[in-house]
Amino acid sequence: MTDENQANPSPAPASAPPYLADDDVGFVAPHDFVCPHPFTFKNGQQLTGLTLRYETYGTLNATRDNAVLICHALSGNHHAAGWHTPDDKKPGWWNNLIGPGKAVDTRRFFVICANVPGGCSGSTGPSSINPATNEAYGLRFPALTILDMVRAQKLLLDHLGVAELHTVIGGSMGGMTAMLFAIEFPRFTRRLLAMATTAREGAQAIAFNEVGRQAIMQDPAWLNGDYTREGGPRVGLAIARMMAHITYLSDASMDRKFGRRTIQSREQSPQLRTELAQQPAAADFNLQFEVESYLRHQGQTFINRFDANSYLYITRALDQFDLDHAYGSLENAFAPVLAESLVVGFTSDWLFPPEQNRQIAQALLRAGKRASYAELATDLGHDSFLLESEELYALIRGFLERAPAQTLDFAI
Amino acid sequence: MTQPVEKRTVDMQIIGDWVEPHTRVLDLGCGRGELLDYLVQTKHVSALGVDLDFAKITACVHRGVPAYQGDMIACMASFPARHFDRVICSRTVQELHAPATVIAEALRVARSVTVGFVNHGFWKNRLDLLVRGRKARNAVYTTAWAESRPANPVSVADFEDFCAAEGIRITRRAHLLGDWKTPCPALPNLLAGYALYDLTR
Repeated sequence: MTDENQANPSPAPASAPPYLADDDVGFVAPHDFVCPHPFTFKNGQQLTGLTLRYETYGTLNATRDNAVLICHALSGNHHAAGWHTPDDKKPGWWNNLIGPGKAVDTRRFFVICANVPGGCSGSTGPSSINPATNEAYGLRFPALTILDMVRAQKLLLDHLGVAELHTVIGGSMGGMTAMLFAIEFPRFTRRLLAMATTAREGAQAIAFNEVGRQAIMQDPAWLNGDYTREGGPRVGLAIARMMAHITYLSDASMDRKFGRRTIQSREQSPQLRTELAQQPAAADFNLQFEVESYLRHQGQTFINRFDANSYLYITRALDQFDLDHAYGSLENAFAPVLAESLVVGFTSDWLFPPEQNRQIAQALLRAGKRASYAELATDLGHDSFLLESEELYALIRGFLERAPAQTLDFAI
Repeated sequence: MTQPVEKRTVDMQIIGDWVEPHTRVLDLGCGRGELLDYLVQTKHVSALGVDLDFAKITACVHRGVPAYQGDMIACMASFPARHFDRVICSRTVQELHAPATVIAEALRVARSVTVGFVNHGFWKNRLDLLVRGRKARNAVYTTAWAESRPANPVSVADFEDFCAAEGIRITRRAHLLGDWKTPCPALPNLLAGYALYDLTR
């Protein structure tokens, strides 16, 4: 180990690495929280030694009320910001939002992000070893709901000494988690920011989840969930990811990124292309278009970082999410909420369209809550909530950082 | 010429006088939330603004005024009858596509509806057209035709005729002269620069 102060005596390189940027949280390390008592899932099943892997950025203040909980989406994890090693190709998934001076300012807030239970990035999930049997849980892992994710994360926050959440933030599944946090722990949650989400997983979204699950379960290597760590339904999981990834984008954004560009047009010489054009055309199902190559890459990357059984469990948890049904009506669901809320929809999101986000804000307002709805015009589809957008940053910063009482300023 | 900033203040004060403390207020076309912020601070109202523009919603959120981005008719349609105590439609009515629908919907979701508008029957506005043959331009309508948003100009007489025809009761009115300060003593359709009405069913 070298002394960090002496480690870099040579002049800084021409372009400093991104983790040294002033507004970057820099290097971070994950931690594990082990639930000290058996965790009871919503369905009544218990699990001993439930572990949540999490990261924190910033410092908890003396009054322990500056905590911001970041809730990740289906394929996300606890690594929301910063870098693990200098060799990382990418920082945490919401690094553009979280950091010193960024919209979620780590100089001001104590930011926490945990991998959900049922996940596969370090928290206990179907791929974890059951200490009682010394085998992976597989399908013996308890049925999972968004409520279980909320309750488990609340235990972590208690463990960290958080007195109340300044804000709970989430997009997509994270938005569902965030809403349920404000419902289940109203006195604990002062602000709610839900983006690109829904109060009720609709038929189209369930349908896409089901195609993904079928791709996994129809893969002969799935073995009813009892596959080995090295094996597993890699083909099925990759197909599930390829399909799901399309639902995160949009026609316009895909066309801009890939158009009809072909792999051949990049790799073949003009002469070869002419020769090929003169031959009688044979059916060709190899890679032709760049968008195919992109999706295959997405699928292949995903199988190296995600567990197929986790995918089944978490998508099922999404399908089960229906606040209207669970509480009788959306207004009933939001009745206990004390948080001030901001819901953000994105015009090109067709997975959880603006209308479904608007309905959340409308129900909060009908329930007499302080709630705002903003809609950002983007053409990037569902993933727009992760967008690098100064407009979005200004909105989020304004929601998090406004003074409790403003002085009137007539000089507009 | 009177400063626009001052005009805004007068407008706010009159509406502020009409708003009862601790009531639920919806502001249609809330802009950056100045009026609602004023009402929250002076009357402790429970406020909601509606506007179409993301940057304006951002400004409202930043000053702590809840705001809804979207169409005002669709927004009101999502609320049950009498959800609000008052709907305010200030300097918005002359830009609406379907003012009758908006006012009818406002009278459904609230007990009282406050409407404020620049009187296009004001003598100076008449002169602009009569003498100069030009679109009215003043402290509120500062832009030339080509830079202006679509407008549906309304006069004091138009508005009172409309209320009479629709059976809408005018409970209060304030007509101000061209300085937007001095109460207008007579002939409001000709002499009032700005008009405010409090309506109920």
